[in-house]
Amino acid sequence: MKQFFQFILKGLAVLLLTMLLLDVLYTVVYRQTDDRNKISYLFNSKDRKYDVVFLGSSRVNNHFVPEYFNDQGYKTFNYGITRSRLEESALMLKLMVERNYTIDTLILQVDLNINTNDHSEAIRSLFMPYIHQSETIRQHYDTIPEYNKLLFVPFYRYMNYDARIGFREMYASLVHKETNALQQDGFNALKKNQRPMIAADLSKYYPKRNKAYEEIKAICKKNKIPLIAVTTPMCMSTINRDYFNHIQKIYPEIHRLENAVTEDKYFSTCGHLNENGANEYTKAVFKTFFKTKIKS
Amino acid sequence: MFFNSLHFAIFLPIVFLFYWFVGNKSKINQNYILILASYYFYSCWDWRFLFLLVFSTLLDYLSAIKIEQSTTTRSRKFWLWLCISINLGFLGIFKYYNFFADSFAELFQSFGFNVSPILLEVILPVGISFYTFHGLSYIIDIYYGRIKSEKNFVDYSLFVSYFPLLVAGPIERATHLLPQLKKRRKFNFEKAKEGVYQIIWGLVKKVVIADTCAVYANGIFDNYNSMNSLSLMLGAVYFAFQIYGDFSGYSDIALGTSKLFGIDLLRNFNFPYFSRDIAEFWRRWHISLSSWFRDYLYIPLGGSKGSKLFQIRNVFIIFLVSGFWHGANWTYVAWGLINALYFIPLMILNKNRNNMESFRLSFNFSSVRIVFNIILTFAITCLAWIFFRSKTIQDAYNYISRMFTDLHFSEQYFKIERYTTELWSLLLIFVLVEWNSRTKIEPISGKYSWLKVSLCLAAILALGVFSDYKEFIYFQF
Repeated sequence: MKQFFQFILKGLAVLLLTMLLLDVLYTVVYRQTDDRNKISYLFNSKDRKYDVVFLGSSRVNNHFVPEYFNDQGYKTFNYGITRSRLEESALMLKLMVERNYTIDTLILQVDLNINTNDHSEAIRSLFMPYIHQSETIRQHYDTIPEYNKLLFVPFYRYMNYDARIGFREMYASLVHKETNALQQDGFNALKKNQRPMIAADLSKYYPKRNKAYEEIKAICKKNKIPLIAVTTPMCMSTINRDYFNHIQKIYPEIHRLENAVTEDKYFSTCGHLNENGANEYTKAVFKTFFKTKIKS
Repeated sequence: MFFNSLHFAIFLPIVFLFYWFVGNKSKINQNYILILASYYFYSCWDWRFLFLLVFSTLLDYLSAIKIEQSTTTRSRKFWLWLCISINLGFLGIFKYYNFFADSFAELFQSFGFNVSPILLEVILPVGISFYTFHGLSYIIDIYYGRIKSEKNFVDYSLFVSYFPLLVAGPIERATHLLPQLKKRRKFNFEKAKEGVYQIIWGLVKKVVIADTCAVYANGIFDNYNSMNSLSLMLGAVYFAFQIYGDFSGYSDIALGTSKLFGIDLLRNFNFPYFSRDIAEFWRRWHISLSSWFRDYLYIPLGGSKGSKLFQIRNVFIIFLVSGFWHGANWTYVAWGLINALYFIPLMILNKNRNNMESFRLSFNFSSVRIVFNIILTFAITCLAWIFFRSKTIQDAYNYISRMFTDLHFSEQYFKIERYTTELWSLLLIFVLVEWNSRTKIEPISGKYSWLKVSLCLAAILALGVFSDYKEFIYFQF
């Protein structure tokens, strides 16, 4: 039996060592990759200066065209991430502050994402490789139940989120496999059009006071970043468009731009604009808040 | 409590320590500890079904004694059929009642009668098919006088409910397991070490192979209408590896766990995908079930005696029953039927016992033929698995039709945001490891065992699927 316990102890030591080695390997790979997604691009950067930064979900990622702003003389980047919630947008903004970004204006999408105070597991996972390197990320997550396991158990975070930051993504990062996440300054155009278009149903949506949104407002205030919160378009056949009126009742400062583009031909799906629609919407946003700068 | 859960990782060492340090003095203590652990293990799914397990155990235990005590054939038959009827009755109610009620209603509706069947809202007790067959084999063996009835209720209860085999087999025989439970087990380091290796290899099969293949197979089967021929073929191959990794991985963990307690269980898989024909496949796949059907159904039906027509009937019966045993769905029946159709030509030509001996490959024509036969057997097995995996027979038919008519063979990027061909290298490595170690129980023991342990652990950690947890497939049967 003594021999067996020695065997088991040796096995546990091998397991721990394997976990440590894998953790170091994965973390080193992610630490040296800045071209796989917007979070790695943001984390591995410093001192960037932007006239305008866009933050939000896919309704930012697919709707705001930085090229248009750039042509008008504004240095712009679209940091919207599909599936992200305001909780992840808040952390991205905190990281921008941590990385000493200079941001003249932040445009934040606040519409469907205000319906919930929940987070996105898929996007949360993308911050995990950096949890040991960033005090900001640690502080942001120190109240979640699995925080200790994520921080102290070697390799646990890569196992827990294996679909997003597991072997496939680590390997893709290692070989710098190309993605379209960072092309066109972060804008991803939707090319396919769903026809007939299925109406979105917002009858179960009801805007609530959102902790992450309020956190974003506080960060902007503290760091003197002008914040413009906007709604983005939904097709006209959307059930319960009254939802947008409720948003403004709770947060009157939010700019109503969901009607800036209304024709079906501009929509890829009811909740997302196609490339032409995104161009139209971006123009509308620009005209509402900005003026063309004279290029030097 | 699943074998690949944290719960089990805590449960197993506790039971191990109690077993060897508290219960070590006598066989009685060892059996008491195992039985308590087994009942706790089973109650973790649903404690209410513990009553069913205890009732089934008690029924078989008493029926066996009654059969042995009976002085007339009539009385012996009475107790045998009473026990079989009640056991199969439970199985029928929990597993098949709703299926038959629905099927009859559909049949009547096709004749124009509107029937609304009364359906039961019951969940299937986990492992019921396994422990029912377990008990039946015991009672039938008693009836035929092959063994003596077990008078010690604790020993018999442990035989039925021993936790490593309780929920998904292997389906043990009283002649093999009961004698081991009748004596005090002594700790054997080599056996325990082999058990640990087998558990690790079982986890590789489950978490790395089966669960990864499941992600792709599910993606392809759930969207087969938009898949091309290559993807559909890969879907069938992935499912073949999924079900093999899942079930043989489970069996490896069960056998390995049992070795930690000094108890050997029956081997359930013997590298079935290296079979040279379908008869050999069935001698290597789910061996404990195949041999159960052979001994308790095929041979009593007459087996291979009598005319060819009679033999063909027997083969059809065991494959249909085997299909039906897997689940209450016509797809399983179709799967059984297809396997019978594969098997019958071999039987007619008296070739079903051709590939009994082991083989070695070398650079000659005979080896080429062996490799060709292995690939062909695997291909037709995959075709049958399509029925096993599909939700309906119509789905399986559409899947196969599309596979042979689409005729596009390009790599596809599909809904789960992956490429359909991504798994080739992983599966190739797995096949090579299995091929290399096909004369052993697991590939870890031997030279460089610590290096192999490290590689297996690294594979489990790095390549395993953890976020999208999948239950063992055979738990549903």
